Amino acid sequence: MLKVVIPMAASILATGVVAQTEIVGNVDSKCIIISETPGVYGNPNPYQLTTAPTNGGVQPIIRYDVLAADYYKAVIEHPIDFSTSPTLDDVVTWTGDVEVSEMSDTNMADYDTNKVEYDNAHEYEMSVAGSTWFKISSTADYGYTKSFPAGQYTAVVQAECIPL
Amino acid sequence: MKYLFLLLFASGYVSAHELTPTYPELRTSYMNDVLEVKLKMWNARVDVEYYKIEVTDEDWNDVPFITREKTFKLEHFGRRDIEIFLPSDTTATYICTRSLLEKGNAQKSIISSKVCSKIK
Repeated sequence: MLKVVIPMAASILATGVVAQTEIVGNVDSKCIIISETPGVYGNPNPYQLTTAPTNGGVQPIIRYDVLAADYYKAVIEHPIDFSTSPTLDDVVTWTGDVEVSEMSDTNMADYDTNKVEYDNAHEYEMSVAGSTWFKISSTADYGYTKSFPAGQYTAVVQAECIPL
Repeated sequence: MKYLFLLLFASGYVSAHELTPTYPELRTSYMNDVLEVKLKMWNARVDVEYYKIEVTDEDWNDVPFITREKTFKLEHFGRRDIEIFLPSDTTATYICTRSLLEKGNAQKSIISSKVCSKIK
């Protein structure tokens, strides 16, 4: 056995066999949408569902990571309908807002001032590289103080990242 | 243990959706009058397994395109190379991937993400 192993080992040492594996990566302009907190509706009144923390709700938080400045705009839409709910036979009145809750760079401080709002959309130009956290609030009022039927209610927040 | 669960629930989870490059390049493909564009997608959203590819012009109108699967499954932490074929006279400007949310999984207010690349 040794007669076989020793020549093989000597042969490997002589040829200097080295295994190499490359790890490839690119640092490029890109936008990453990160869903940090999904959000929960509280039900403080029979006719109301709200993400307000003071009313038992949890506000959804979305983080945008942008690796280069002035490449992207963020468009966030607060909900204006339920994606799942029991059958509703009266009008639901929706209100909501989007605001910057945290930022990795103080130069992002004017994002809320400079945002463009239309319908339920809030559009932010991502003019600074780094991470920005957006907090979304949403409230649904049913009829004229009418009680929501029992069941599960879900609404979707749309978060988009669009190159400029 | 009860408090640990509450903490986990309150802190939520972190999950991400990424599409690169920002400005992909249209190249000639192996077929006549057909252009090709290549993108890469990464799914780190633990709550999403399915994505849809959308190709639109600069006014967000849909334009015709061909790809292997317009709606595809991508596991958590999965990467996918996306090849899109477009006619040579295409007006395509935006290529986007949109997360598809499963109705049965809806427990709370949920987040739909859409990340786009732009053909210049």
